[in-house]
Amino acid sequence: MHLLHRRRWIVLGLAPALLVYLLFAVFPILQSVYLSFMDWDGLTAMRFIGLGNYIEALQNPTFWNSFKNNLYVVAASVFGQVPIALALALLLNRRIKGAKFFRTAGFLPVVISTVIVSLTWSMVYNTEYGLLNRFLKAVGLGSLAQNWLGDPKWAMLSVCITIIWQFIGLYFIIFLAALQNVPQELYEAAELDGASEWVKTWKITIPMIKETLLVSVILCISGSLRTFDLIYVMTNGGPARATEVMAIYMFNETFSSTRYGYGSAVSVLILAFSLMLIYVASKVFETKTIQEKGERGAV
Amino acid sequence: MVLILYSLINTYPLFWMVLNSFKTAKEFSLNPFSLPTVWHWENYKEAWRVAKLGLYFSNSIRVSVLATVLTVLLGALASYFLSRFEFRGKKWVSALFLFGMLIPVHAMLVPMFILMQKLGILNTLWALLFPYIAFNLPITIFILSSFMEAFPRDIEESAVMDGCGVLRIFWSIILPMSRPALATVTILNFINHWNEFAFALVLINRSELKTVPLGLANFAGEYSTNYVVQMAGLTMALLPVVIIYLFLEKYLVKGMTAGAVKG
Repeated sequence: MHLLHRRRWIVLGLAPALLVYLLFAVFPILQSVYLSFMDWDGLTAMRFIGLGNYIEALQNPTFWNSFKNNLYVVAASVFGQVPIALALALLLNRRIKGAKFFRTAGFLPVVISTVIVSLTWSMVYNTEYGLLNRFLKAVGLGSLAQNWLGDPKWAMLSVCITIIWQFIGLYFIIFLAALQNVPQELYEAAELDGASEWVKTWKITIPMIKETLLVSVILCISGSLRTFDLIYVMTNGGPARATEVMAIYMFNETFSSTRYGYGSAVSVLILAFSLMLIYVASKVFETKTIQEKGERGAV
Repeated sequence: MVLILYSLINTYPLFWMVLNSFKTAKEFSLNPFSLPTVWHWENYKEAWRVAKLGLYFSNSIRVSVLATVLTVLLGALASYFLSRFEFRGKKWVSALFLFGMLIPVHAMLVPMFILMQKLGILNTLWALLFPYIAFNLPITIFILSSFMEAFPRDIEESAVMDGCGVLRIFWSIILPMSRPALATVTILNFINHWNEFAFALVLINRSELKTVPLGLANFAGEYSTNYVVQMAGLTMALLPVVIIYLFLEKYLVKGMTAGAVKG
């Protein structure tokens, strides 16, 4: 067993990964915290202003507007993606014919680059030539056609529909895997008792995959709190900040107005919100279940 | 029925784009739903030329391949020691790596920009390489070490009897045994690097260094009125990922759902 304790090898083996990780992931976080207490434009000398940036952000209605928009995306994702994905998974779990095809088609949007998804959907929403408006006109509903991304009334909804479209497949596949782990005997016993499909779904299936459902909801929340690429490409927060989420706000404040200190403070706030949610999540149900899921998925 | 409708909604926008990319601008505006009457390949030639897709492809391939090889190599080595050895601080190191899965990448854009500026590699492909490795190590180590942990202990013991060294065991026993998990993380890494946008946006602005997602976003902005050419460009960018996905679906889905469960 002496092999298990060769310190020199252990240090050497872990060093490269740890070094890259510390320098390019951990260190920037610390630096971000440090900069968030500074007033700095990247050129002139830094000035320590304590909590000034945080106070400014928390008093700024534009920041809260981006926070509100972000919550909208979170709500749309949770209530759009999870129920639809669950319904689809329940359907596919019953009939096997063509199952492989539906899985493949379902997961496809998840693997495509968000930039391609955004650009494709921008064309779908295009006022004049877009798929959506042309389709509405073709079926005689031309009056419903809108300037989907250009009208502040519709832009957020349109963006959210694209986000939902992109990620339903992910939860669909996760639920499908969970459903296949529900022991068949439970259903057989229920059938002997004369339970209907509906009863079986609500009394057996849903309780059995409750854990996966919770994990998915948490994932969905933390994932949609991070939305950036899609909105940046589709609308860059516009029109009139109607789709500006926190990451977009941070990006524009930092790189357009070169306010690195303020941008860092907003970054730290985003990080804090995310970690808070994860903390709540791990309170709701043990972190252990997440790890078990990961292992099962990995093997 | 519902499922058919779902797969239709899922794939139709992409099909619509691919079909229209073969039409002339006029045909597209008159008749966006039908099949193209003549298949116009010149949109592709035009997109390839105007969008400089060849250049972006070569940048993306270089960064993605190098980042994937390094992430998997460093990750596998670290996973080996984290899963097969006992040492003080092991829990701490594992937790540190796990923590990385919780960091939202977009909260890192500002400090990363400043760091790269200080290191003097802003606007080089190296500026992308290191963050890509750092941000994909956690999930890579997570998947690999949980896989390696499952191997029985006797493996090393008999290998030590035969006089194998630590690295020899890693290279000739543990790595070959981890092949399925290695395939999963390799594909996952490649796709993640290939699709990455935010870091590229912040760290690269010389047009000859742009990656495919960044180049496309710019191209669409500059060329926004010529839809058919834009669609041809998007189709070309879409193709490699779709091909990889169709051939290696099993591994990619495993990696992505394991990655998804990272909380």
